[in-house]
Amino acid sequence: MTKDQAVPAEVENLLHDDDNIDNMYLTFAIGEETYGVPIAVVTEIVGMQRIMTVPDVPRYIKGVINLRGKVIPLMDVRLRFSLDERAYDDRTVIIVLELAGSPVGLIVDRVSEVLEIAEDHIDSARGVGGGGESQSLVEGLGRVGENVAIILNTGMLVSDAELSMPEAVSA
Amino acid sequence: MSAEVETVADKQATAGALLRVSSQKISRLMDLVGELSLSVTETVNSPDLDHTGDRTLFEAAAHRLNMIVREVQDAATELRLVPVDEVFKRLKRMIREMERQTGKRITLEVIGADTAIDKMVADRLYDPLLHVLRNSADHGLEQTDERVAAGKSEKGVITLSAAQVGSEVQIVVGDDGRGLNREKILSIARKRGLYGPDEEPEPSKLWKVIFEPGFSTAEKVSNLSGRGVGMDVLNTTMRDLRGRIAVESTEGEGTQVSLHIPVSLAFLDCILLRQGTHLFAVPVEDIFEIVKPGIESCMSISAGSRAEMLRLRERHVPVCRLEQFYGDALPDLTPLSDTVAIVLKAGTRLIAVPVDEVLDRQQVVMKPLSGVLAKVRASWGCALLGTGEVALVLDSERLAAGENA
Repeated sequence: MTKDQAVPAEVENLLHDDDNIDNMYLTFAIGEETYGVPIAVVTEIVGMQRIMTVPDVPRYIKGVINLRGKVIPLMDVRLRFSLDERAYDDRTVIIVLELAGSPVGLIVDRVSEVLEIAEDHIDSARGVGGGGESQSLVEGLGRVGENVAIILNTGMLVSDAELSMPEAVSA
Repeated sequence: MSAEVETVADKQATAGALLRVSSQKISRLMDLVGELSLSVTETVNSPDLDHTGDRTLFEAAAHRLNMIVREVQDAATELRLVPVDEVFKRLKRMIREMERQTGKRITLEVIGADTAIDKMVADRLYDPLLHVLRNSADHGLEQTDERVAAGKSEKGVITLSAAQVGSEVQIVVGDDGRGLNREKILSIARKRGLYGPDEEPEPSKLWKVIFEPGFSTAEKVSNLSGRGVGMDVLNTTMRDLRGRIAVESTEGEGTQVSLHIPVSLAFLDCILLRQGTHLFAVPVEDIFEIVKPGIESCMSISAGSRAEMLRLRERHVPVCRLEQFYGDALPDLTPLSDTVAIVLKAGTRLIAVPVDEVLDRQQVVMKPLSGVLAKVRASWGCALLGTGEVALVLDSERLAAGENA
């Protein structure tokens, strides 16, 4: 039914790896940046599909999809981060998360890989971007070799609070 | 079915034998039937099908398949239907208790106890109904001496009735008591800021405030009612069940509280609409009429911030633009005469909702709005359509109530 052409096989395999998943993060790209969400909240990754618009939702909620009988609202992560919108292409994917008992799909530029990042490799970045500890979208910065994965605070992602992305991180 | 599995051993199991089946199993079956129905529609309408050749045989088979699915759907829905008497019987037992506590004598009359209702609905009806019943016993009915003085029978009569109207079950709790006191209710409603000091709401609207949480006109809190807590249960349950509450009352003659509840929660018979890029679904029983407005039947009232009205024969119906309600209005609204107007029943009122297109009538599967969709106003939930699309099911009453509903 869905064409998951944009999902690399190795990512798919890693999703089913039943090792300790506490330190595992699914990383994805938004522009030049790499973001990560805990693998524990990820239910699946699907290719882009026909979005049906719904009224009365924030601008970053692009609409809903019907995924095998489940209605999943889609959040355009670029719009959530107040970045410019970008046309969807064949690498655009939807990462379906289960947050606080409800599903939400993140539209991201492309999905990268599953990384194991030990707790002591994550620098706390709570409070980055102002608004105090509890208001930040960024949970921490995970050091992966030379690179950095920005770990998202998934709870904030679906909260109502308006956010402006931290300059220091998006630079 | 039973004939095939019958063996010598269970010969006693006659045609009327009953099975105990857990409700989870039935729910699972219902879910699957829902998905089956969606998949069939999806398959039959697949764009990959060759549309050029002769499709007579295919069409016939598809038609038969659809008929069967519809029957399976009905049969599955029926599995969960129980007579409403299940709830009524439990309520009957409470009447003695109420007599004892109020010192009033009460006759309970039951009508339509064999009306069928979804077990899921029935299980949740007891508490709210008990609450309404208690209210009737406590506030509605007068004390015996008061009744005699008013020329009524000594025993107060509470009527509990159920009837199926279309795809809705209407349960009415009526009493022949003193009726609601407009002055008293209005003064409390004003005190609580629900109405301004000069507002004179129409009765059907005013009566509804008695369902506001914490609302009570009882001077003293009794064991039975007056704490205003039960109404919360009533409101929450009715919202969950996609139900509606209506109150009628005549001073000195009594009060009727009616609960309108869909027979089944599984499938919803809807008309599908398109407005702009959005798809909407409206339950068939909410639709009063669908009209193509002529230029002569449209008017806008400059004094009322350009509110639009639709003339429908001898009456004027206020127009509710979905694009305005949901705040994604385009600078230029489509002239009313270029739209199709769906006239919806919203409680006792009518509203006209102009849309670009009326698409289809379909049995849809409803999913509740959760997560980031929970804040969408005036909607019961999302409808999954046979095409795989998703439409928002409109709640006409909250739509008519406006912004803050």
